[in-house]
This record gives sequence, structure tokens and C-alpha cells, in this order.
Amino acid sequence: MNEHSQNLLERVKVLDGKSVGKSIPHDSAIGHVTGSAPYIDDLPRRVDELFVGFAGSPFAAGKIVSVELDDAQKVEGVVCVLTHNDVGPHNIFGPLFCDEPFLADGELLYIGQPLVIVAAETQAALAEGINRIVINATASEPVLSVDEAIKQKKFIGPRRQIKCGDPETAINNAPEKLSGTFYIGGQEQFYLESQAAIAFPGEQDQLIVHSSTQNTTEIQTMVAEVLGLSMHQVVCICKRMGGAFGGKETQAVIPALMVSLVAQRTGRAARIVYDKDTDMCVTGKRHAYVCNWEVGFKPDGQIVGLKCDFYSDGGAAADLSTSVMERTLLHADNSYFFEHAQFNGQVCKTNVPPNTAFRGFGGPQAVAATENIIERIAEYLKIDAFDLRLKNTYGQTDRNVTPYGQLFSGNHMSEIMETLAESSNYRHRVAKLPGRNSTDRMNLHGISMTPVKFGISFTTKFLNQANALVNVYTDGTIQVSTGGTEMGQGLNTKIRQLVADEFGVGYSSVIVMPTSTEKNNNTSPTAASAGTDLNGAAAVNGSQIIKKRLADFAAEIFASPEKGLIPSPDHIEFAGGIVSDVRQPGSGIPFSELCNRARLERIDLGARGFYKTPGVDFNRETGKGNPFLYYTQGAAVAEVSIDRFTGELTVPRVDLLMDIGKSINPKVDMGQITGGFIQGMGWVTAECLVYDEKGNLLSHSPTTYKIPAITDVPPEFNCAFFPNDDNLHCVRRSKAVGEPPLLLGVAAWAAVKNALSFLPSDHDPNLSLPATGEEILRCLTEQANG
Amino acid sequence: MRDYILLFVNGKRNRIDGADAFRTVSDFLRGVLNLCGTKIVCSEGDCGSCSVLCGTPDFQNRRFSYKPIDSCIRFVYQLDGCNIVTVEGLADNEVQGGKLNCVQQAMIDCHGSQCGFCTPGFVMAMTGILEDSNSPSENDWRRGLTGNLCRCTGYSPIIEAGLRSDTKSSASMNDCFEPTAMLDAIGNAASQEITVTSNTQTIYSPTTIDQAVQYLVQYPEVKIVAGATDVGVQFNKGNCEAEVWLDLNRVWSMKTVSLTGGAIVAGAGATWSDIEILIENDLPQFHQILTWFGSPQIRNVGTIGGNIVNASPIADSLPLMFVCNAELQLTGGDGTREVNINDFYQGYKKFDLQPGELLSQIRIPLPEDDEELRLYKISRRQDLDISSFTGAIKMKLSGRKIRSAVIAYGAVGPVVLRLPKTESFLAGKELNEETMVAAGEIVVSEIKPITDVRGGDEYRLQLARNVLLKFLHEVRPEGALA
Repeated sequence: MNEHSQNLLERVKVLDGKSVGKSIPHDSAIGHVTGSAPYIDDLPRRVDELFVGFAGSPFAAGKIVSVELDDAQKVEGVVCVLTHNDVGPHNIFGPLFCDEPFLADGELLYIGQPLVIVAAETQAALAEGINRIVINATASEPVLSVDEAIKQKKFIGPRRQIKCGDPETAINNAPEKLSGTFYIGGQEQFYLESQAAIAFPGEQDQLIVHSSTQNTTEIQTMVAEVLGLSMHQVVCICKRMGGAFGGKETQAVIPALMVSLVAQRTGRAARIVYDKDTDMCVTGKRHAYVCNWEVGFKPDGQIVGLKCDFYSDGGAAADLSTSVMERTLLHADNSYFFEHAQFNGQVCKTNVPPNTAFRGFGGPQAVAATENIIERIAEYLKIDAFDLRLKNTYGQTDRNVTPYGQLFSGNHMSEIMETLAESSNYRHRVAKLPGRNSTDRMNLHGISMTPVKFGISFTTKFLNQANALVNVYTDGTIQVSTGGTEMGQGLNTKIRQLVADEFGVGYSSVIVMPTSTEKNNNTSPTAASAGTDLNGAAAVNGSQIIKKRLADFAAEIFASPEKGLIPSPDHIEFAGGIVSDVRQPGSGIPFSELCNRARLERIDLGARGFYKTPGVDFNRETGKGNPFLYYTQGAAVAEVSIDRFTGELTVPRVDLLMDIGKSINPKVDMGQITGGFIQGMGWVTAECLVYDEKGNLLSHSPTTYKIPAITDVPPEFNCAFFPNDDNLHCVRRSKAVGEPPLLLGVAAWAAVKNALSFLPSDHDPNLSLPATGEEILRCLTEQANG
Repeated sequence: MRDYILLFVNGKRNRIDGADAFRTVSDFLRGVLNLCGTKIVCSEGDCGSCSVLCGTPDFQNRRFSYKPIDSCIRFVYQLDGCNIVTVEGLADNEVQGGKLNCVQQAMIDCHGSQCGFCTPGFVMAMTGILEDSNSPSENDWRRGLTGNLCRCTGYSPIIEAGLRSDTKSSASMNDCFEPTAMLDAIGNAASQEITVTSNTQTIYSPTTIDQAVQYLVQYPEVKIVAGATDVGVQFNKGNCEAEVWLDLNRVWSMKTVSLTGGAIVAGAGATWSDIEILIENDLPQFHQILTWFGSPQIRNVGTIGGNIVNASPIADSLPLMFVCNAELQLTGGDGTREVNINDFYQGYKKFDLQPGELLSQIRIPLPEDDEELRLYKISRRQDLDISSFTGAIKMKLSGRKIRSAVIAYGAVGPVVLRLPKTESFLAGKELNEETMVAAGEIVVSEIKPITDVRGGDEYRLQLARNVLLKFLHEVRPEGALA
């Protein structure tokens, strides 16, 4: 980060609180840098513990004829070998639809689909046992692309629609029209810690499951369901994850089920840790999309009508795909007002692992599709794409209703884009592009600005709730537990800050405990960027309940009838570790002393906080409603340079500006912005999922799947917050930050599109996403030849 | 003859025999010593999460030389006499006394960790950078960390942590881990041959070429291991099972590299890091390729000989060696012979090395002053990525005329290919766009690239054409525009 953005960071308005607003280091930072923060694979092994692994489907589609287990069972050290026959009646599960077999039964759905679980005394015996399993199966022709699925009408769930106005007529009557088909690739989450779980058997058929999961309740529920237990017999615990990005919202279930089944069958502890290749081969990813689009516009660039048909590659089972598609339809407007628009969405069923949540959750594909159209119109009309964007951006007092009927309040889009254009010197740099591109025979240059308006809240209403357990001890220290899980995003750090400020104590007086269904039941996944919004608010609520009791008690202590001061809880202040009556300067006692005295007076120092997001709802049948509490907003300017001969891409400069309200922890939030952007840039440039014709994933490890490296970070990378304190809806006027910056990565792709527009040919090579060197070279070659 | 490995970990001595000697270092650290700070992600040297510092004894200067390596693709038996420093050892030593080192502190202050899983690897690689430089620039931090992947931070906070590290307060590894006692403990054992056996495997570790060749003659089927940057990966993925191993890491005479008589003369065991430093001024084109090749962790152990006998058609060093007519010295029981690298390969992973023979030395003549050399390495990602296409073009020019041309392309066939038809077409022609476009069409008749995970055949054919034009624009920018 350069000095300019550093200064912007420092200048961000912070709140009055002692902890909130400060860039306190990550809750586990010391553990991270010393290697002492344990992940699942680091937990000490119990003496009876078994190694667990599995054998998977050899075919992407087909039928199981027979499975021979005898040889595997005979391997010395193999303790049990389990198939769907050992599971019982509930082998089928799923977060939305119950359509995914835990262990393959009859039909084969994708390569690597778990079929046989093996548990063994040693890693070597496990490997040998898996090797000796013989799977006899017949292969059938797999469906491996969205296009093929559409042809064969292989779909998951109904076709959904969001529509406003009369786009058909509007487009027909428009003076200018364009249409096309846009291909968008998927993306591997590439969390560094692969899927992992341990199960410990307990008394009364209980199981304790440690899982690297974003969703402890989902693990608890699925383990109970599939194993035929009741929910109160299963505890799921997650201390931390080594990254998740959505990939552990539902996909942590299968490994957790495997170890739970082994623990239940053997009465022994059982652990599974996927190796990276296995993880990448058998778990779901960001959905690939195909978007058929049609747009009508005026010669000045105003869009009068837009139609987009989205098809996503859902993989072999529903997982979260229909919800992901819902968010696509809700973000196809990006930050533009469309009077007449129609967005259709259909999830396709194919023979790859069920695709799932990944940071952005369908939003990035929608924004990429829309920005492709914007770039295309700009190129066609030969006007600057930024002017086109400003012209179509949502208004403040009119042109401010989304296609799904929600009023876009708190709209800062134009201001953000203008501010960023200024700070990034956009106009000046764009004006120099034609000259640079006509004289530079080695490289082609392009610049683009793309905005983002990301809706915050789960679009499934009931998930917008959270509970928190707050325990205050007699020495004045506090433990907090919520259903929120820590995957690196700094949730625990922010909750500590929020709770410390509520009680007016130092940050170190508060500790956030491991997430466990024993303490927090019926929780929502830590997802949709709303981890702090929901769990932070619940923790604050729990703190306030205790604080109220303490204030009532302190009011009695400080009351001084002889001075005419009756007990007044309203005048009790918690600050600096001291509790005092503001009417009596110097009256305070330490918070710890108050806690101790409160216990002696039999005052409850524990509480459960609760929060539910007010006013959100969405009718997916009609495609109308108020799904979001507010919008996180931002914009990015990216400059790219393309080798004219090889198609190699570099990104020399990026400027970001994000409105995330009043930051609870500016450096934690800035880390989400830089990390999200680079992840998004990876998706649109170099990250490429390659399958062979049988459905084998060929890019299944970092040797073949290339996420951005440190040298891919733009040499000039300016990131700043847009100062804003108008978000009354969220805890301490903050805003969610996790997903939105990922969508800004689209700017790098749009800049490639812009660079290609400088080639003399009028032929549109229809750049797809990701813009790999290979794809760019295809476009360069086509334009040179066409 | 010794039958155990002597390995220091954070300054503590370990005597390792039997099966433990055959474990990967990361597995040994986590599974035997319970040092779980070192993380495993990819098991193939592509993420750097398992980075540790490997201190190699330098008896002459009475110290250890510390460099970051990927511990997941290094075997315990390869590190005899070394001191491995893990993330647990950075603060926990007599000098630091439990205080975090400057990199650890800066990573905390700059929010350089999010999920934390890559962090120990980054901290080790960053500490390694400080072993080489007291005040690394932003570019040094970036170049030094190409072997470490982070998925959370977008790297900016890590770069900032590097720049904000209080390097003056930092003790070097030789301060933290007093070398004398360790060097004394190794003593004469350094020159002893080692043979360690487990129930299923044997490793022999000689200290001279003669010993190595004798062993090879005796056991022609032995698996030779030097850098292990490929063998280690194959082993981890279950594709490499050998009963007898011959480790060349202690054959010191094979590790030297020098510029002698207008040529790079390298022992087969010379590491890419050593070559990279040596040739920076004399062969800048190759130096550029080497900075992209693998990562610091890979180049610190990967050897030039390994790149040659691994015989990959996409080996990054081969096109240069082809156009420069590198001479390979092969040593066997009957003596030494020399082969031009252009005659060495016979088919996919097949080459002219007889049973009982060892690649001992490589001699790469530098280009003449009147020769233009350009090297191309094109991959999905610039750093730490296996190439989709490689190329070397060397031309002798007089004015606008091409006197002779030598071209070698990789990733366009089962072996790296010279392009004789194109070369003879170019000889005597004027160097201009028309010539290069025409040459491009001859090139594509001489190669037969395949489609794989790194690119399609059409893509590779187009690159094969286009790098000729790129060469033109690079060496004659004015002429090309005219």
C-alpha cells in the first residue's frame, strides 16, 4: 500500500469507543505467526484414533454393478469399511433440497463421489485399504457443460425470474440493439486448509464433532439426520478454519459425516483430512455460467431495456445452487437503473461435484455479465464506458427502484465513482490510451472502472438471525460465544471490540470462545458477509442485558439519599474499566469489583443475546420484495497491459474505493478489501478449471490451478474507504465487507475488454471470462485475422 | 560408513535411522517431533506453507548458510548435518528469549495474517530474505515470496509487513543458533558415507562422484535423487516407489558452478539459486527466466542436472541449452564422455544415459557478442508456474541480414525441438516482418503440440508463430516499425 492510501486509511473517522474503530490485530495473530494456533490436523491424536479416507466413483456418470470390499478388510490395520448399506435410511441429504447421497448408491454422479469409507490404524494401512477396493461400474455419457445440460434439459429447481417494466417492447423499440452469449468460468475456493473433521464418541450415543466448517448447525443437523441420532446428541465445534470463502458452508458436511459414522460404528475417535488434490477434485466450486443477453439503448448510451437469461452449472446436486442463482438475479442490475429489465435464471444439472457457495454467491457472475454488456455498448458507440456507467447509475430521488422493487436508499454510487475517477486520474489516463496504443508495438493497454452495489442480508429470511452467549466472571473478564465462525475474516476480533466497548473494559478482558452448537443453537452459516452484522449485534444485545442488571445494581450502590441522589441506572457509566455514577465524580468502583459484589447479591452475570434483521423479505415466486437491509458499495479502476504477441496479461495499477460505513476495525476491513479484490482478479484472469472429456478435473492442485501470486499484486495498488456514517441499520454504523470487494475484480477483466477495443478490427471476439493469456491471444489473433 | 542421519532442528540434535529417515521433512517435523506449526497444503512445493529454513554447514567459515526450502518435498535423509529452523524456533532460542522476531511482529502489526494457515510459511520465507539482505526493497520482498501462496490477504499487508520489519532488531539465524557446537557435533561425520535402511528401503549417500558411480554400477536400478523437487512430488502423490535410493546432496564437487572460458560450467548438482546469482550480468536473458522458474524455495534445492535428466519437454532451462549447444559430461564406470544436448534426447523422457552412468557436469557456451539471444517462457501465471510454451531464438545478424538462426521450442512435442527447416529458411534472409511471418508458417509444420491442462494446441501453434515476431520487435524495434 502506498502512502496516499495509508493516509486515507488513517483519516477514516473512528468511533468514540475505546476498542471499536481501532485496528487491533487479529484475535489469533500471535498464534498464526508462531504456528501455535491449531487447526484440525494439528490437534493431538487420541490413542484410539483412526485415520479415515474414502474411495470414490471412477466415472462421472454411470451405475455401480458391485463393490468388492473383502481385500480391503483383510489389510492389517484396516478397522472398518463402510458403504451406503451401513448408513441406514437417511443416506440422502442437502441444505435446500434433499437430493445428494452421502455415499453413492446405485447411480454415479461425478468422479470421486464418495462411495466407500475406510478407517484404519495407520495412514499406510488406510492407503492400502483404499487401494484394494474394487469398484465395478458401467460408465454412461456424462453431462459436462451448461450448453449440453440445456440441450438435454437437465435442470435443478424451477426457472426463476425478476422482471420490471416491459423489456420486450423497450428493446424492440430501441434505436440501437446488441445481443450475445457470454461464457463465465467457475472458480475453486482454494482455502489453504483442506476439508477436515474429527469425531469423538461420547456417552448416551453422543458425538462430538470438530469440523472446519462455516456452519456448525448444519453439521450437527446432518450428522444427526444421517446417523439416525437426535440433534441433542450431536455437538459440533469449530475453533477456526484455514480459509473457507464459502467452500465450507455446506461442503464440510461429507467429511464430518464420514468420521461421525466411523466413530459411531467403532466407538473410537476418527479423523479425516483431505489432501489438496482430493479436496479440489471432489468439492464444489463457484458456478460456471452462460448468459444470453439482449440490450436496447439510445445513441447517447442510455439503456432502455435489458434481458439476461442466466444458466449456471449446478453440478450433480442442488446444494445451494438455487440460492446462488437467486443472488445472481438480484445483482444483474449491479448499480444501474433499468426501467425495463428481465432476468431469468435456471440451474443446470451436470456431472461435476455439486457447486456451492463462494464469496459473492452468484453476484460476481451477474456483475460480470452486466459489465460485459456495458463495455460492449461503449465500444459500439465509441464513447467512454465511464460516461455510459454514470448515465445509467441509480439516481438519488428518482430512477432509484431496483427491478425487484426495493428502494435503493443510502445510494452513494455516483459520488463514489466520481471521487474514484478523480483520485485515480481516470480521465487523464484514458485520454492518453489511444496515443499509447498506437505507438507501443509490444503491449496493448486498457483501463476500466467497474462499480459494485452488493445487497446485505441472506435472501432466505429465516437465516437472518443470530444468538450469543455472554458470560461475565467475578474478576471482570468476559467470555463470548456466538454461532459465527472464524475463517480469517476477523469476526472474533470485531466481536471482542464490540463487547469490550459495551462493558467499558479493555479489549483483552474479552475472549471469544470456539463456536459450538452446545453454546449457540440453531445458528446460521457465517456467510453472506453478514457475520459481524448478525453475531456482533447478538453479542452486543447479550452484553446489554447483563449491563442493565449491573447498572441497576450499581445504581443502588451509588445512591446517596442524604445528597438527594436516588438510585438512577440511567446515570451509571461503564468506561475505562470503572463503573461510576456520572452525578458523583470520583464515585467509581472497578468493573471487576462490581461483578464480584453482584454475584454475592445473586445477580445473574450471564445472558443470551439475540438479533434478527428487521424488515427484510423476498418473494422468490414473484421476484419482488425487500431482500436487503442495506447495500455495501464501491468501485474499482484497473489498468492492464497485454503482450501483443503472447497475450500475457499484467495489471500495473488498481485503485479501489469502498463504502463500508464506519469501520469497526479499519485494518481488518482493509484486509478484506485487498484480499477480496485479488481473489476476484484471480477469477477473471488466471484461474481456470480444466476438465477432460470424461469429467476428470485436470487442474486439481496449485501446480495446475493458478491463484494470484504475490507478484500479481498490482505494483500500484491504492485502496481507500469512502467516508460514510449514514448506516443506521447495522451495529455501530458499520457495513458488511466480506464479499463486495471480490466483485471489484471484474474491473481487471473489463480493462482487458477495453484494451482489445483499440485493435483496428471491428470484429468483436467476445472475450469470455476468465481472460487467460490463451483466451486473450485467441481474441488478438481473431481480430488480426478478421 | 554411518547408518543414521544427523539432523538439527531448531538447534537440537536428532539421530535418525530406519523409516524416519525416509519421511519428508514436514512429515518428520509434524509426526515425530510434534512441531505442527509447519503446515501442509499441496505436498508439491507450489504453496510454500511448509517453508522452513535449512541451514547448511559451512565448515570453512564456521557457520551455517540458511535458505528457505519446501519441507514437504525434501526427505530427511537429504539433510544430514543441517539445522532446520521451524516457525517454533524463531522466538524460542537463547538470543530471542521468547520474543517474536521482527517479521513475526510486523506481520501482527500489519494484519499480515487472516486465516493464518499460510502464515508460518510466509514468516519463514520472510526471515530467510533477511538472511540475505538487511534492507530488502519492495521488489526484494515480492521476488522473495513468489513461492508462498496466500488466499486471504491479497498480499498487500504482507508486503507492508516486510517493509515495516524492524530489521535492525533482528538477530541472524547464526546468532540465534550458535553454530560452533553443532559444527563440532558433526565433525568428521560430514565426510562419512551414509547408508540407512528401513524395512522396505535403502538410501546411500556418498560424498564423492567415484563413490556414487561405483554404487550406480552395482545397483543400476537405483533411484537417483538430488533436489527432489520432482521426485518429492511424485513420492507424495504415490507415483514413486523405489527400494534403493542414491542421494547426491553430499557430493560437494558436483555442486560447484563457475563462468570459465566463455561458458557456464556447472556441476550437475549445482542449484538454480547459485546459477542465478552467477549469471546475472553475463547472461541476463537466462537470469530473467530463472527468476520466474519455480520459486526461491525450489531454486534453493533444484539442480541443473535434475532439470536435464527429468527430461520434461517443458523444462525451462532446456531451450537455452539447445541453442547454445550445451555439452553434457556423463560419467560411468568406464570413464567420462561428452554429449551435445541436441543429441541427448531420444523421445518422451528417453535419453542417452547408459545404465551405470551419471550426468556429472554441464558446459553452456555463452552467446557470441554478435549474436542476439531471446528466451521465452509463457505460462498461465508468470511466477512459479509450469510453462505452456518455452522458446529460445539465437541469431547472428549483420545489418539487416540474418547470417544464421538457431531456434528451440519446448511444449510443442515429446521433447524440446530444434527447428531445422525454419532455421535454414531464415539463414540469409532479411530480418523483417515478412520473413518472420513466413518463418512462422514453416515453424508450425515442424511441431505438433498437444492440448492439455496448460493450453490448447492452437494456442501453442500461435505462440510458436508469434514469438518469432516478438523476437523481431525486441531486437530491431526501429526496423520493425519501418
